[in-house]
Amino acid sequence: MIEVRGLSKQYGAKEVLKDINIAFEKGKVYGIVGENGAGKTTFFRCIAGLENYEGAITADLYPLKNHLGLLLTEPYFFPKITGAEYIRLLCNARNRTVADIEARNVFELPLNQYASVYSTGMKKKLALTAILLQDNEYFILDEPYNGVDIQSNMLITEIIHTLKALGKTVVISSHIFSTLSDTCDEIHLLRDGVFAEAVQKDNFAALEQQMKAVTIGNKMQQLNLSELK
Amino acid sequence: MLNRRFKDAGLEPWLAYLALALGFSGFSLYLFYKTDLAAPVYVLIALALLGGFSETRRNDFLNTCFGDQKLKKIRVAENLLAVLPFVAFLGYKQELLSALALISGCILLALVNFRTTLNVTIPTPFYKKPFEFTVGFRNTFYLIIAAYALTGIAVSVGNFNLGIFAMLLLFVISMSYYGRPENEYYVWIHSHSARQFLLEKIKTALLYASGLALPIALVLGLVFPQNLNAILLCFLLGWSFLVFIIVGKYAAYPDEMNIPQGVLLALCIGFPPLLIVLIPYLFRQSENRLNRLFP
Repeated sequence: MIEVRGLSKQYGAKEVLKDINIAFEKGKVYGIVGENGAGKTTFFRCIAGLENYEGAITADLYPLKNHLGLLLTEPYFFPKITGAEYIRLLCNARNRTVADIEARNVFELPLNQYASVYSTGMKKKLALTAILLQDNEYFILDEPYNGVDIQSNMLITEIIHTLKALGKTVVISSHIFSTLSDTCDEIHLLRDGVFAEAVQKDNFAALEQQMKAVTIGNKMQQLNLSELK
Repeated sequence: MLNRRFKDAGLEPWLAYLALALGFSGFSLYLFYKTDLAAPVYVLIALALLGGFSETRRNDFLNTCFGDQKLKKIRVAENLLAVLPFVAFLGYKQELLSALALISGCILLALVNFRTTLNVTIPTPFYKKPFEFTVGFRNTFYLIIAAYALTGIAVSVGNFNLGIFAMLLLFVISMSYYGRPENEYYVWIHSHSARQFLLEKIKTALLYASGLALPIALVLGLVFPQNLNAILLCFLLGWSFLVFIIVGKYAAYPDEMNIPQGVLLALCIGFPPLLIVLIPYLFRQSENRLNRLFP
């Protein structure tokens, strides 16, 4: 379980997160949605300990970061390091030895090629594979579906189901609502630095409709595409 | 860019350039005083310094801005400018063939696209513990080969100083692997304390650098047994400077090593016993810097 109490974060005068209180339980998958700049990535970075913040973030395993698999929105790769070496680097860092990396290469990545030349989707899959092989208890997946093909999309969804079944805590952000409704137990809507709404699985459809109404509104009339004919 | 860096460090650019010019002249004079094979070594050092201009992302950016033809002209111009002091010194020493070889080499480096010609994964003996030596070896393997070749020359002509230079060159190459701060994610992922993290970095660096330099040390020890003490001393110095660079890097982390640290390094080169004081000091500073990422 991860518990966040009174989390606030400021960049200069700009308050990005405002007194956030939330708990992520074991064996559950949580979705975080919000517009670009709503504070999702900052929230994740605070949990990981990559940012200074006000408030308290605790977990049943200490220190939290040693048991956390963090998938960044845009994972960074050193030039001239292969996929296999990247996985080895991440596993070594957690004192994990993975005997046969190739056998566990479920995304069928070219592990002997330099990771920096991978496509966006391949980079995402490599980073995900590495944090899975680290054997973490908590997972924060920032846009795990970004740029991946439809087959991998299905595989990632299945992986998240498996993590849940194994009793892991998973927090995901995604801009594709269907991926969240397929995987999450709860979805939290982050707006202007606060969690404006928490929705349980049976109300996901209503949340999607509500988000559509708020987001789309009368913007199609505003765009007036019919005039372009 | 260089001006900005000097200003950021609180140095007057003209003063910094003057210091650089003096340092360069001093180094060049010393090298030519020490060995008869200074000219090829000098050419090699100059070509090695051009490596930074070949960085893929940088060239992709320039290519997008200026196009292929203009990029080639820019690359040739910047390479020529960078080696100009070396060419001038070679001219002063009347090493005209070496100067010509340097100019040709730097033009060739500007025109050849290594990414397309070397689109293969270069095997590395350092794959087990990524990333510094893994990446560094792939970037500088040709320099490592050159260092071994220099040792061969040193042995065949009986020039001990050249052999020691080749060994120290390998330590300098190893130090270059630790020159830039890595993305904080790659520090954060470690489940150690800051102290363990630093000790692990140092241990890996010493082990791998020794793996590179030991064959030269052994060959020199066998061929020049009368200079065994000098070999051991230089090996120890190589280790010490490598540790200095690592703790210096993390003492400034996540920023790049700054100019005051460069000055400290220069002082240590002039008076190595300073390392005994500076390494523990920078180690403690590194720990403090890294503690943010290691609760």
